[in-house]
Amino acid sequence: MKASSFKYLVHQGFSGIWKNRMMTFASFCILLVSLLMVGLASLTAINLTRVIGGIEDKSEVVVIISDDADDKAKDELKTHLEEIPNVNSITMYSKEEAWDGMLDSMTDEEKEFFKYADENPLPDTYRLTVKDIKNMGETTAIIETLDNVESTQSPTTFADILINIRRIFSIVAVAVVAALVVVSLIIISNTTRASVFARRKEINIMKYVGATNAFIRIPFFVEGMIVGLVAAVGALLLTKFAYEGVYNIFSDNFNIWSILGMQKLYAFKDLLFPVSVSYLAAGAVIGAVGTSISTGKHLKV
Amino acid sequence: MVEFKDVSVTYNSSGVDALNKINLKINDGDFAFVVGPSGAGKSTLIKLVLKEIDATEGTVMVNGFNLKKLRRSKVPALRRTIGVVFQDFRLIPTMTVYENVAFVLRVIDAPAKYIRSRVPYVISLVGLSDKAKCYPTELSGGEQQRVALARALVNDPQLIIADEPTGNIDPALSYEIVELLKGINECGTTILMVTHEHDLVRYFGGRIININKGSIDFDEVIGGAQNES
Repeated sequence: MKASSFKYLVHQGFSGIWKNRMMTFASFCILLVSLLMVGLASLTAINLTRVIGGIEDKSEVVVIISDDADDKAKDELKTHLEEIPNVNSITMYSKEEAWDGMLDSMTDEEKEFFKYADENPLPDTYRLTVKDIKNMGETTAIIETLDNVESTQSPTTFADILINIRRIFSIVAVAVVAALVVVSLIIISNTTRASVFARRKEINIMKYVGATNAFIRIPFFVEGMIVGLVAAVGALLLTKFAYEGVYNIFSDNFNIWSILGMQKLYAFKDLLFPVSVSYLAAGAVIGAVGTSISTGKHLKV
Repeated sequence: MVEFKDVSVTYNSSGVDALNKINLKINDGDFAFVVGPSGAGKSTLIKLVLKEIDATEGTVMVNGFNLKKLRRSKVPALRRTIGVVFQDFRLIPTMTVYENVAFVLRVIDAPAKYIRSRVPYVISLVGLSDKAKCYPTELSGGEQQRVALARALVNDPQLIIADEPTGNIDPALSYEIVELLKGINECGTTILMVTHEHDLVRYFGGRIININKGSIDFDEVIGGAQNES
């Protein structure tokens, strides 16, 4: 195919948008809504995964150190703890810090009661975070075998609940997004089919004058791709608007995330690049391929 | 040249025998009227020539292509040697007269310079130079059919198939369309015209192929009233 012919076909694709503006507008709306639905569902899933991940990261194993352990023994224990592969971070929490912390959380009457205590009954502890919450039980068991460990406290039941929530959520999120993708593709396919059906006579005439399938498809392909890209830009702007609205409500007005030990939602600017690329790629591919496939049905003349 | 050898067509869906062992030869430069009642097999004959359908039996040769052996990917090459004029014109409504005609040349990758000179010339041949920028909906039936003729003619095909070209236009204009076709034929293009209008056939005369119940029951050259007067 000559460059001039290709240029002509691309031009035909552009002019087809205006000439068939009603069907083009219908395709644009359907694509925009579909991208928006799938995009918002995916962003919700990504953020909820992050929130659950944040809770998991805050889950600590408390290692109570024996009273008779001296500083050297405590350092040795720390070294042993660092050697455990699943241990992420270790923080020393001395008995004095624990005592002060306890007093801080008390009312004045309660403080008065403890004022006359002879000695600090609280132990020194190491507080560990783990890399993989699934192996928290196993890690705790290893820690308990180490010297100078009096006992351990770990929220293994809570960890199991979190793991289950995360697993169920992952399945539900994938299922919801997949269902939305399927529904969107069906709607888009029907719309593009209707759009192409309205122009079946045109395709038929092209076939009779000896046009190849590629010659017929290129303008439809270009047209579909442009509609897809414009719909993607529209969906991106609406997503930004909706996302930032929700983000501001949760981030600015309430500080509930830090209270619950959760991580904040992703800021939209952090997601702009992947979201833009996904929207534009999905819009262009669905628009172009969807239209081309629908065109194929009418090429068998 | 179009040649049918023992060609039969049976439609699988209905089991109807549309054509039975037809033998027919239309030489280069011929002008032939194909006549016959509705359902006789005229449309099937046209569909075979355009390879819209395949023969159940027999061989069809069109402009050097053996349609039995012709692959789907080569069908555009066959159709580029044929110009088609339909009863319902089949112009692309979103294109102007010029664009409808030029489109055929774009399909065959003709140089832009050739398109710019050839298209206005062909449009002038059918007498529509002043309507080149009009859209089909702005034209009368007769004018639309002349655009269809220009489109069929523009890439200088070896064969023009006119399927009931006068069916949707004023009877007075029908003669004008056939005159145009005759003029094209005089330049060497083979014309195969399917029609119901016996008055036209009687007036112009020439080779008449009558199809009835899937068989050719008459294939003769007759003198036309036009020549007698």
